[in-house]
Amino acid sequence: MPETRMLYRRVDEPGLASIETYRRRGGYRSLTRTVKEIEPEELLTTLQDSGLRGRGGAGFSMGKKASFLPRGDTDKFLCCNADESEPGAFKDRELMQKNPHQLIEGVAIAAIAAGAGWAFIFIRGEYAEVADILEGAVAEAYGAGFLGADILGSGQRVELVVHRGAGAYICGEETALLDSLEGKRGNPRLKPPFPAIQGLYGGPTLINNVETLSNVPHIVANGADWFKGFGTEQSPGTKVVSVSGCVQRPGNYEIELGIPSRELIYGLAGGPPEGREVKAWFPGGSSAPVLTAAELDLPYSFEALADAGSMLGSGSIIVADDQVSIPALALRTARFYHHESCGKCTPCREGTNWTVKMLERVLSREATPMDLDIIASVQDNIIGHCLCVLGDSMAMPVSSMVKKFRPEFEEYIRRVASDSPGLGSDGAAGLHALTGTSSLAPASGPHA
Amino acid sequence: MSAEERRRLIEAMRPEDAEPVPQLHQVDVPDELRERIEAAMAKYPQVRSAALPALWAVQRHYGWCTPEGMREAAAVMGVTPAYLESLATFYDLFRTSPVARHQVLVCHNISCWLRGADDLIGALCEAAGIDAHEADHGGANSPDGEVFVKGFECMGACDLAPMASIDERYYGPLDTDDARAAVEQLRAGSEVLPGKALAERPAAGGPEPDPDPRVKEVESGDA
Amino acid sequence: MPDPPRITLLVDGVEVEAPHGAMLVDAAKHGDVEIPVFCYEPKLGHPVGACRMCVVEIEGIPKLQTACSTPVRDGMVVYTQTERVKEAQSAVVEFLLVNHPLDCPVCDKGGECPLQDVAMGWGPGRSRSVDPKRHFQKPIPLSPLIKIDRERCILCYRCVRFSQEVAEDEQLQLLERGSSTFVGTFDNRPYIAPFHGNIIELCPVGALTSDAYRFRARPWDIEDAGTVCTLCPSQCNIKLTVRDERIERVLARDNVDVDDGWLCDKGRFGYQMAESGQRITEPLIRAGGELRPAGWAEALEAAAAGLREAGERTAAIVGGSSSNEDGYLAQRIVRKALGSPHVESRPSGGPGVESRRTGGRGPAGFLRQGLVELSAPRLAASVSDLDRAESILVLGTDPLHSMPILDLRIRKAVRLRGARLAVATDRPSVLDGGAEETARYAPGFVGGFVSALAAELGAAGYERARGELGADAERIAGALKPGSTVIVWAGPDARGLVGCARALRLEEDGAGLIEVPEGANGRGLREVGCLPVAGPGLSDVEQGLDASGIRDALEAGSLEAALLVNADPIRDFAGGPAWGEALGKAKLVLAVSMFEDASTRQADVVFPAESYAEKEGTVTHPDGRLQRLRPGTPHPGGVRPMWEVLAELGALLGEETGVESAPDALAAIASEVPFYAGISHEEIGGTGIRWQERAAARYWPRVDDVGARDEVPGREVEPAGRTAPEPGDTGGRAEDVDGVIRVGTYRDLWAAEVTDRSPALRFLAPRQALELAPRDAARLGLGSGHEVEVRSNGTSVRARVSIHERVKPGSGFLIEGLGDRAASLRGELVEISKAGEPE
Repeated sequence: MPETRMLYRRVDEPGLASIETYRRRGGYRSLTRTVKEIEPEELLTTLQDSGLRGRGGAGFSMGKKASFLPRGDTDKFLCCNADESEPGAFKDRELMQKNPHQLIEGVAIAAIAAGAGWAFIFIRGEYAEVADILEGAVAEAYGAGFLGADILGSGQRVELVVHRGAGAYICGEETALLDSLEGKRGNPRLKPPFPAIQGLYGGPTLINNVETLSNVPHIVANGADWFKGFGTEQSPGTKVVSVSGCVQRPGNYEIELGIPSRELIYGLAGGPPEGREVKAWFPGGSSAPVLTAAELDLPYSFEALADAGSMLGSGSIIVADDQVSIPALALRTARFYHHESCGKCTPCREGTNWTVKMLERVLSREATPMDLDIIASVQDNIIGHCLCVLGDSMAMPVSSMVKKFRPEFEEYIRRVASDSPGLGSDGAAGLHALTGTSSLAPASGPHA
Repeated sequence: MSAEERRRLIEAMRPEDAEPVPQLHQVDVPDELRERIEAAMAKYPQVRSAALPALWAVQRHYGWCTPEGMREAAAVMGVTPAYLESLATFYDLFRTSPVARHQVLVCHNISCWLRGADDLIGALCEAAGIDAHEADHGGANSPDGEVFVKGFECMGACDLAPMASIDERYYGPLDTDDARAAVEQLRAGSEVLPGKALAERPAAGGPEPDPDPRVKEVESGDA
Repeated sequence: MPDPPRITLLVDGVEVEAPHGAMLVDAAKHGDVEIPVFCYEPKLGHPVGACRMCVVEIEGIPKLQTACSTPVRDGMVVYTQTERVKEAQSAVVEFLLVNHPLDCPVCDKGGECPLQDVAMGWGPGRSRSVDPKRHFQKPIPLSPLIKIDRERCILCYRCVRFSQEVAEDEQLQLLERGSSTFVGTFDNRPYIAPFHGNIIELCPVGALTSDAYRFRARPWDIEDAGTVCTLCPSQCNIKLTVRDERIERVLARDNVDVDDGWLCDKGRFGYQMAESGQRITEPLIRAGGELRPAGWAEALEAAAAGLREAGERTAAIVGGSSSNEDGYLAQRIVRKALGSPHVESRPSGGPGVESRRTGGRGPAGFLRQGLVELSAPRLAASVSDLDRAESILVLGTDPLHSMPILDLRIRKAVRLRGARLAVATDRPSVLDGGAEETARYAPGFVGGFVSALAAELGAAGYERARGELGADAERIAGALKPGSTVIVWAGPDARGLVGCARALRLEEDGAGLIEVPEGANGRGLREVGCLPVAGPGLSDVEQGLDASGIRDALEAGSLEAALLVNADPIRDFAGGPAWGEALGKAKLVLAVSMFEDASTRQADVVFPAESYAEKEGTVTHPDGRLQRLRPGTPHPGGVRPMWEVLAELGALLGEETGVESAPDALAAIASEVPFYAGISHEEIGGTGIRWQERAAARYWPRVDDVGARDEVPGREVEPAGRTAPEPGDTGGRAEDVDGVIRVGTYRDLWAAEVTDRSPALRFLAPRQALELAPRDAARLGLGSGHEVEVRSNGTSVRARVSIHERVKPGSGFLIEGLGDRAASLRGELVEISKAGEPE
């Protein structure tokens, strides 16, 4: 099954990142219509009718979210979440890098729909070259009158600032993003109040992901019904899926939701290297509980993955093949969340820390099967008990690995009697644990 | 710390050693740094939103977030240096200790690790003369002060795995030969890894596959 | 403000009534259900829900909720004891103990540790963690007063929230991230800020401990004694931790109407003054040039003899730490037994009540009337009104130095409610940063500014000022909301203030004036009669001399005896050393003092003074709240209650007071002060009562006390002295003439005896500094740290230059209360010359 390219249309056309090419391709017509012809209420209705769901992970209706903002004169804000940091996700980077004006146009239209005079694109600091591209494009848009105090002479005002983060996964959490944008440590806030009521600088704030907002010009141009012609009834439109790990053609693929997962992993991304099989895969970034080879035929949709006990999340698939040690994978996963925990709430701060220590003991063969029980129980003590979802994001995949691959963990620990050295608490050489070999795959990729 | 050392430390503490908001006349802030920070402050509805841009400016000016640089930024912004240090130590991209001329951040997260990130770090460190364990756990400078290598969390480029960010530009996929070449090129000041840069990479699906007839061109007219 | 409606919720099956909107954790207490917390502390502002200890089950919500951040609604059904809740809470305790050392036996917090208590009550009882805990160097000094043990820290963030969101000093921060997070300061500097001691009390574990209290006592060794701190006008409510009759610690005793449960470091560590080995503990009589110990009978007789001889040529100076009872009895002796009208309690005179000497041009009767008008209940704001007012004007004072706890209260109003703050002062204030408008007038020109402000507010009889003064007054006026403003003010000159108050409709609820007096009990002393212009209850009396008048009269010999009650005028009063000369000429100086000081050196008889920790009596808060001082420790040596000593002295002089106990003394006061009528210790109770809220206040002031309602005070009195704005005056701007600096003075928080007498605080003792604007410093060729001589009219003060950006060019500021003559330079144009290079 081929891709369905809406956001990715002509993605590699030379000069697409420039305003000339973008406009030649019809860009900014939706914004022009928005300021000249469409009432904000009508715009909101169109966005709601389109059924567009947030592409950042939670999958909430974008139009509905925008409609939650109180009407009236208070200062309102729009924040575009471009802090894409979930391991396995890289779609927003490519969308911004290759087609920045598509996003800027979407931001401007959404800001007008929400009545927000200020908009921010919070882009992770690591994406410095992409931020440079965006800033150039924003300057072009200001120059052409698509942004600023009086867009195209309509009296509509949208100021857009590209704000660079500085390296913290947690800032992708929407309230941590707001704190960070206010110049604080990126700590998530208690909800309620929700950002739509009390967000940036205490004002009503609409927060949307890059991909979500990139859809907006297309919906305005072609209408809600046209948009609903793609994808599924519950989730219309296309979805850009990042596929990485043990596949032959890692990359972003724009699809309609509902196609078989196998099609994505094998068909588009080429599947694992010759002679290897899929052992485990994260269907929605590293915070999704892992699925096994037996679950490859699940439709790739919010609903089917949720039914299978996992989630679609940001739409990022990471594939681990049959050569990969699951305990080592669990440690890599846990380490990431431990490193990224902001430290604000107890279960996440201490739970990720303790989990890493226990997994390190598993990897260095200083653990017992009872420790596996403790690991599992600690994950249960984290899930649902934290201030935000970061703790759960470690606990769910780690818990799923311990549950689904428990024999492998046990077998690993049992080898304590043998003189096998294990992987060391570091797990640094942890890729091919099962084979017992310490030789590493060629750096160009073990399965290429 | 012995009781005696503690006593001496306490006796040496004077009220003027505390760090409230520094006044501008107490710091010697370079004009260019001050201008950058003030420009950032003007960009936002509230001044504190300029804190990260200010730290970026300090880091670009001094190479890292030096205590003196943070005091200068604090004076310009009218905040305490402690507030800026709290931010600088929270965010991974800010360095709060001296750093070599070129910065190489190597992803050691899942997708890159599955494709040989550990080897990549090892090769980079070997070429630069850095302890790989140290580099992977917080970062380390090469003895010649040219290269800083740090194992980093996912940088959102799993399609390039294994990848590295070299002086804020992405490169990948990289093998051990690339690692050695990159260190040499950085030392020599020549172009880094031609052909491996993210900017030059097309979308994974290749050029437009058979367009889905259902997807209208968004644009009309001159398309 | 109306109380919120009460609602009913069900907690563990029991109906609980609570105010609507209360947080569940507080509401549950109404049903005797305790929900454990660590990070929750309502004093710190909005809940953060970080520790996750307080999770409970609420019907209709699938996830467990934090009780600290969930407002209760009518009909809410809550479970705090289900298996789910217990498991989650037990898990949090387990998580916290993964890294918390089990060193309770050697931890200062042991026995009074919330973590210990919660671990016992809600924890799993055993640990499953075998991994190493995190390590830090410990304990290390965070400041000279506080030690930090980062291993014990459970990252509840209370201390850093205090620094960011209460004190707003922002010196204490979280560094690093996640499980590596720790509490620290910039570049490992010490955390030195005036309220920082509060973090010791906030810490729910033994991570932040008081250096002075470390290893001094266990909870079972100590007793708590509640009283009031009289080291400054804040009059914070405190608990003394007493072990073996010694004070070992001072803790806050929450009183939301006074202090919000905070203390400044002076109040927290100043108890050491009371425990000082240097105290005078017996009466002393001068013989052969030396003070020698004497018995009480002998000393009282010697004092009485001297006073009898001086008779109406006696003056009394009553110091700010005196109780109402001390002040009342002292003025009664002087007025009734000796027939002298000279009673004073204000170090720099004022406010706005020029006595015969300095204000000879105005009708003396009016001066008292002005005071009565300013004290009228309808214009009085309470401390809690700061929590309601839409705007706040800070006028002529910097609360951080003059009444520290108000600084926190004002910050709270701005931060939590967005109250509009305006600051009008001569010297830059630490509140400037949060102010919507600030105005700087030239040192000493507060009267001119207030008159200009009154005009801008539309008060009748005031003319709008021209130039910058007018513009500043207009800006300040624009920030003030009529009917909802509290003015926190201090100063020697209150002309125009009543006009401002009327124009701003400060008689409305939640609005009004709070005057910061110079002494801790300045208001009480004024109300019990320690003023030269008014007797008890601000009654009409024969006019006496004010402080400087008394000093001059002693110097000239027209006054012969001085009674100094808890007062050291050489240190604390304008003129400073000039008082030494004046007292030296007196035939009798009777000093009541805790320590030998510059003034006791001139004394012929010395009575040992009580510390506030030993005192029984009452004080009156600047907002009119009568509060009780209760003895926490016994009197050392031969120290006796001062009310008793003064009653005896009065009797020896023929004034029978009938006072045989502290309550008797209060009753005597109440019989003379109409608005205290009938008040008793019982009525005052543990948290005090504002006299304005008592029935007796309804009949005060009487119309003949204040005169006709439409009287405009500002027009009645001719401006006196140098603070007058002259016609065409640019309005008290600092002169912009080369080489001319006009000096203002302020009383630094730490320029106080308690700083010198408390070992823990001694490092904070300030050195004289001349604050200058950068431009003036450059013009004078001065840099920070330069030693200079500041001179005018033969008075000279040595100071170190300190450059401040927000000092108005043309102004300079010196510190009062350091024992030099700085206060004499107040308002003067000075010459400045270099006396040395920076150190």
